[in-house]
Amino acid sequence: MASATRPATVRERVADADRSVGRLLLVAAGALFWGWLVASWVNRWLGGVLVPVGQPLIPAGAVETAFAAIPGFAAYAADAAFVVELTPELSRGTWLTVVITAVSLVLGFFIAVPLAVTRVYGRFSAWLSLAYTELLRGTPLLAQLFVLYYGLNLASYVPGAFSGVFARDVVWVAILGFTLNGAAYQAEYIRGALESVEEGQITAGRAIGLSKLETIYYVVLPQGLRYAIPSWTNEFVYLIKYSSLAAFITVPELYYRADQIASETFRYTLIFVVTGVTYLALVLTASKLMERVEERVSIPGLGADSEE
Amino acid sequence: MSDDDFLRVTDVSKWYGDEKVLEDVSFEMDRGDVTVLIGPSGSGKSTMLRCVNRLAEAQEGSILLDGEEVLSPDLDVDELRREVGMVFQGFNLFAHLTAVGNVALGPRRVLGLSETAARERAEEQLERVGLADQLDSYPAELSGGQQQRVGIARALAMEPKLMLFDEPTSALDPELIGEVLEVMHGLVEEGMTMLVVTHEMSFAREVADEIVFLDDGRVVERGPPEQLFDRPEEERTGRFLERIASHD
Repeated sequence: MASATRPATVRERVADADRSVGRLLLVAAGALFWGWLVASWVNRWLGGVLVPVGQPLIPAGAVETAFAAIPGFAAYAADAAFVVELTPELSRGTWLTVVITAVSLVLGFFIAVPLAVTRVYGRFSAWLSLAYTELLRGTPLLAQLFVLYYGLNLASYVPGAFSGVFARDVVWVAILGFTLNGAAYQAEYIRGALESVEEGQITAGRAIGLSKLETIYYVVLPQGLRYAIPSWTNEFVYLIKYSSLAAFITVPELYYRADQIASETFRYTLIFVVTGVTYLALVLTASKLMERVEERVSIPGLGADSEE
Repeated sequence: MSDDDFLRVTDVSKWYGDEKVLEDVSFEMDRGDVTVLIGPSGSGKSTMLRCVNRLAEAQEGSILLDGEEVLSPDLDVDELRREVGMVFQGFNLFAHLTAVGNVALGPRRVLGLSETAARERAEEQLERVGLADQLDSYPAELSGGQQQRVGIARALAMEPKLMLFDEPTSALDPELIGEVLEVMHGLVEEGMTMLVVTHEMSFAREVADEIVFLDDGRVVERGPPEQLFDRPEEERTGRFLERIASHD
């Protein structure tokens, strides 16, 4: 922890935490965070089995009393109670943040893989892929969302099967926007990784009679996608945070709800510190998760940290 | 020069842009023959080898394999490659697959064998090259010699009627060359038809039925090893052999 060089990335910091007492703290914090989130969601879905819907899991009054009783903490008792009162709204918003991120990421992945493959191995299609990627990466994400929502008014064209899944159909517009945009970024990361697969292996695949497409499927992708994990994790982390832009097309996710409460109570600092910590917890979960995935699928004999 | 030559290469020429890399190359092989292509680097021997399974495209000439025209535009290239095995200088193993996985991929995905049958065949072939104890090792866990033997097993698993070897020992440390040559010796004894590009002259002398000396994309001289090595007719052949000998 007191090493001379400071870890540069969240990943490295998390990796460092692994080797120290910090690991226990991190696991405890994670369990607490996700325990609170899941309990809040379940409580809402089941119509208030734990506490009435809209109420915090622990009464704000009790937290205030407890804080007041601890010497030195009395001054923060009111703030602590306020934060606890925020939690039902924040957990609701976090649900949408998690769903939008996860769905967009997965859908984007299935667009990104063909985009990357055509970019590397296609001829005419490589240009189409390049054009798509540059257009989506070269224009502001917020502008893209505005075009989809205000410009094309897509929220009123959500197909019947999808309509009503979320409280507001605009969520689908956000998912579409993040899927299309994220696919471009994911494609770039995957393209780089595909290019790092040795050319000779493709030749060898062709030499045993696999077609070009089969060689890509059985030889290039299994390796390329593994190599893409570290950089792909960046996109995952970005998307968690960028999903807050959905607030600007009225999606009631985490940032939207925080902003609403702040503009009613004017307690901006406190609310956005708590919101920021929530995003941080999501980001740490994502990077920790992907680190595990990377370890799990690493190829024996090839260094696990050879991607750096 | 009989009509039933197994492989007959006739007047094959190839250009890269303006540069002619093969010029009217001709030779032929019978079933079970071992032909070794030798020559200085850049002489076109690897390119010639790759024209036989169409990894490189010859622009002129004819390559008849078992009576079929390899260079025909109507030929199913994937089917040709099913029948012609290839071993590479750089091994080119699939890094994410175990030894068995490398060898089984072709039988499973190209020949359509079941998972179990493909694995069985892969294990047989790996035993054949002496790697029964490394079935589940990944390429990065194997020595160069072991990797190349997996490469040979991978080609053999397709039950090819012709094997192409593209400098199979050139990337190996000297002490690892022997184990690969030993496997190749075994194949010769089994009667495999082999077209080999190599700098291992003693191996060539021992096993080749014919040596083809290429220089500047042309066949300078060809003949049985004793003739070509001991009584070369062309001055260029003699000079090349001297240079090689002084390196050994």
